Amino acid sequence: MIKFKHIRSRIAFTFLTVVVAIQLAGLLPLKYALSKHADTLAAEQINVGERVFVSLLQHNTQSLKQATQVLAADFAFREAVATNDAETIESALESYQGRIRAQIAYYISNNDNLVIGTTDNEQALFGSNAKEDARQAMLENQSGTLKFDIIAGKPYQLITVPVKAPETIGWIVMGFAVDGRLADQIKQLTHLDVTFVQKTHQRDWQLVSSTSTRELSNLLVKTVADIYRQKLSLHRVDLNGQAYHLKIRSLHETKDDALLVVLQGSVEPFTQDLNTLFKVMVLLTFIGVLIFAALIWYVSRKTTEPIAALVNDADNIAMGDYEKEIQVNSTDEVGHLAKALNSMREAVLQRSLRIQRLAFNDELTGLSNRLAFNQGVHQAIMTHADNQQKLSVIVINIHRFKPINQTLGRDFGDDLLRHVGQVLKQNVLSDQDMVARLDADEFAVLLQQTDQAKATRYADKIQQVFERPVSVQGQAIDVRTGIGIALYPDHGLDEESLLNHAETALQESRAKKSPWIVYNTALEIDQSETLTLISDLKEAIQHDQLLLYIQPKIDVTTRRALGGEALIRWVHPEKGMIFPDQFIPFAEQTGVISDITNWMLLRACQVLAGFKKQGLHITLAVNLSTRDLNNMELPEQIGHLLSSHGLDAKSLKLEITEGSLMQDPERAEVVVKKLAAMGLHLSIDDFGTGYSSLAYLRQLPVQELKIDRSFVMFMDKNSGDASIVKSTIDLAHNMGLIVVAEGIENEFVLNQLAKLGCNEGQGYFIGKPMPEKDFSIWLERWEGQNEIDIDIGDDLSYDINPLEIDQQAQDPFKLDNLGE
Amino acid sequence: MLRVMFRLGCAGMLLIAMSRSALAVEVTLLVSDAGGKPVADAVVAFYDGKTPAINPNAAGKIVQKNKMFNPKVTIVQTGTSINFPNEDTVRHHVYSFSPAKKFELKLYAGVPTNPVPFEQAGVVTLGCNIHDSMVGYIYVVDTPFFAKTDDKGKAVLKLNDGQYSYQAWLPGQNKPGVEQKITIEGATEVKITLP
Repeated sequence: MIKFKHIRSRIAFTFLTVVVAIQLAGLLPLKYALSKHADTLAAEQINVGERVFVSLLQHNTQSLKQATQVLAADFAFREAVATNDAETIESALESYQGRIRAQIAYYISNNDNLVIGTTDNEQALFGSNAKEDARQAMLENQSGTLKFDIIAGKPYQLITVPVKAPETIGWIVMGFAVDGRLADQIKQLTHLDVTFVQKTHQRDWQLVSSTSTRELSNLLVKTVADIYRQKLSLHRVDLNGQAYHLKIRSLHETKDDALLVVLQGSVEPFTQDLNTLFKVMVLLTFIGVLIFAALIWYVSRKTTEPIAALVNDADNIAMGDYEKEIQVNSTDEVGHLAKALNSMREAVLQRSLRIQRLAFNDELTGLSNRLAFNQGVHQAIMTHADNQQKLSVIVINIHRFKPINQTLGRDFGDDLLRHVGQVLKQNVLSDQDMVARLDADEFAVLLQQTDQAKATRYADKIQQVFERPVSVQGQAIDVRTGIGIALYPDHGLDEESLLNHAETALQESRAKKSPWIVYNTALEIDQSETLTLISDLKEAIQHDQLLLYIQPKIDVTTRRALGGEALIRWVHPEKGMIFPDQFIPFAEQTGVISDITNWMLLRACQVLAGFKKQGLHITLAVNLSTRDLNNMELPEQIGHLLSSHGLDAKSLKLEITEGSLMQDPERAEVVVKKLAAMGLHLSIDDFGTGYSSLAYLRQLPVQELKIDRSFVMFMDKNSGDASIVKSTIDLAHNMGLIVVAEGIENEFVLNQLAKLGCNEGQGYFIGKPMPEKDFSIWLERWEGQNEIDIDIGDDLSYDINPLEIDQQAQDPFKLDNLGE
Repeated sequence: MLRVMFRLGCAGMLLIAMSRSALAVEVTLLVSDAGGKPVADAVVAFYDGKTPAINPNAAGKIVQKNKMFNPKVTIVQTGTSINFPNEDTVRHHVYSFSPAKKFELKLYAGVPTNPVPFEQAGVVTLGCNIHDSMVGYIYVVDTPFFAKTDDKGKAVLKLNDGQYSYQAWLPGQNKPGVEQKITIEGATEVKITLP
């Protein structure tokens, strides 16, 4: 089966095939019938010709006979015959023969062999053959048939008439030559070519005369001879490429002799007309087929065009264009189909809208979901990229949503989320801005055409709204939010990076308890490294890969050892020694820091308990992170640790940074105050690097202030640093705080600090961070040298090389010295 | 033919001499054709070789009526004259080209003035130059013993016992039957078959 691209081709092909087949089915029999008809006509012509021919011969014969009879009835002639007057008879025959234009004339007596003739040919008259012929002719004449004979090699028609006196006493025989004249005469009447052919015992078939061309006649002679042999009378032959019908009639036939007349009718004239007719029919058929083809093409086009249009529409639907309604132009099947397609389109449209709603909407709040938000940002980026404008992606998170949900119920939580969503939505800057709920308690806002100032203004506004308690289900609740802001194109060129960075900023905002944070690259940490380390770190805590290091701390004036700052080292099974700055930041982000702090506190207590057994009353300082400061249970935990190890609260110092305090100052304040109330010694670490106000610090129950090593390390060379150190020491003393200097690397600095009134100090000059065992040795040595001079404990710093100074210096976990 | 005529002449003489003495028996002639069908109007003549033709009825007649010779076949002995009265309203031109008697009665009506004498034995075929269909036959015989068959091909002839030769003709046929010899002894039946 042929395959069609279009239905109309199939329709056209099918119908055209049928039409052509019908036409051919008509034409072929027509062709056959026409040629048969031509044959029939030719045959008919031949038959009619033959009848005319026979009739003509009979008529000729009759008239010749009548003419001859006139002679036979002549009384004088009869008398001459009766009296055997041969001379008279001959002369009478002669004159009569001339009158009726016969070529032969003779008289045959009835009762004897008397033959009187006019011909010069003796043999013709008196030959035995002639006599026999004559007798035969007489008999046949009586039966009324035509008689032909070949006399002396020439064919004649013989007319035999009896001579009666009154009984038949003899016969007059008149012979008329069968020649071209006769042939012409026949042709005139029959419109057929006439050929006479004869055969004698002396000569084979030969042409006597013919009305057709010599060439054709000669051909005919041979053909006729064959046909004659086969005893066929009517025959169709092809001569010189033309078809002829031949009618052969024997005029005379004996053992040796034969005279045939051949009537020959060409089929050509008939086929000519019929061929013309056929050609006209073919032409008409061709024109008909063309017209029909055009009609079929037109009709099938008309039929399939709407279908094609529908196909087009269906394609559009398939491509997702459900909006365009399909035109229904007709009431026929196509119209029905169009209607059906239309209703299908509408159903699909509704469904697709629903799916879209489900796919792109957050069902709870009615806001967009993450997917929709991503798309929205994507589109916005495209338009903004064209206009070279900025846009901002803001991620907002509700603090403590989980406990709210748990304590006040899921319904309440849901309502709260809806409310927050509303607030975010109400405060957007333009209609094109977008608010989405990304996660349980996390929302995102897309602000179009906004720079950082506008974005932070929005964040401020949100912050302000939530400064007052929110009323949900009749309950007033405080909502605290964290906000991360990322700007296009500053912080990312695609929606994903923008959102990620906004979330990073959000993390930071939460970590630092800032109302909002705008993303910057400093927030970034090596994510991939971090991820593996997080899981490794958890394992490290469990499998004791962490080590406690201690950096000694002394009294600057007396140079007595006071204790140390507890620091952490991680001996990774594959990566080796890992310094805190490589894992503490993400430990803080992920909350693992709490475990680390707990581990540190435990280990510090164990070490302190060990020294206490030896009778050494030293102090160890442990760093607390932001999370630890927000952990309301921390004071209780520490109290439990101290009591279980039989330690005094004074032996444990807690170092906190300005930044960790500022994240959630209120909470931190609560925790710090509790700790202080327990008698724990609190120290502000890295003082000078943060932005904390002294006024705020003053409110805190802090006993100690650690000057950041960046000021101390080069104070012997940099007078600016030295003056900062000096004023800080003065300021701290004025506030009644102990001052500790970090980063003491030579004796000069140590002496300088002593002069400035600094209370305590730590640094490489005094001792590098070292394992617990080495610290015991250092203590012994330091105390031994104490009276004499101070030596640099190089031999004890085997695991700390000078290259690690920076890292070590930035270490947020530093051993503090407790001034007893 | 000449020979026959001669013999008829001799026989005619004898017949006259004999006839007086005794005419004894009736001879029944049955003439049929080759197919056995009886032939009407067949002419049979018996010759005894001694009785000549006698001419008791010197004049006979053949009437032309309805464009026919009536009777169609007439047998006469030599020396008989026959008249040809025309009883038709049309005229006739009676002729004969027969060697036994050639004559011509040019167009006439009614009874011709002179009858035509037939002295020579033989067959005379009569025709009319106007009406080709008219054919008549006169058999001129030189014997008193002759007869013409009826519709059943039968004829009766009275003959004395003795030896005869006989011959039969069928009108229209050129040649007579073969001459046969027969001895008559008492009434008898002679069957003659014409070729």
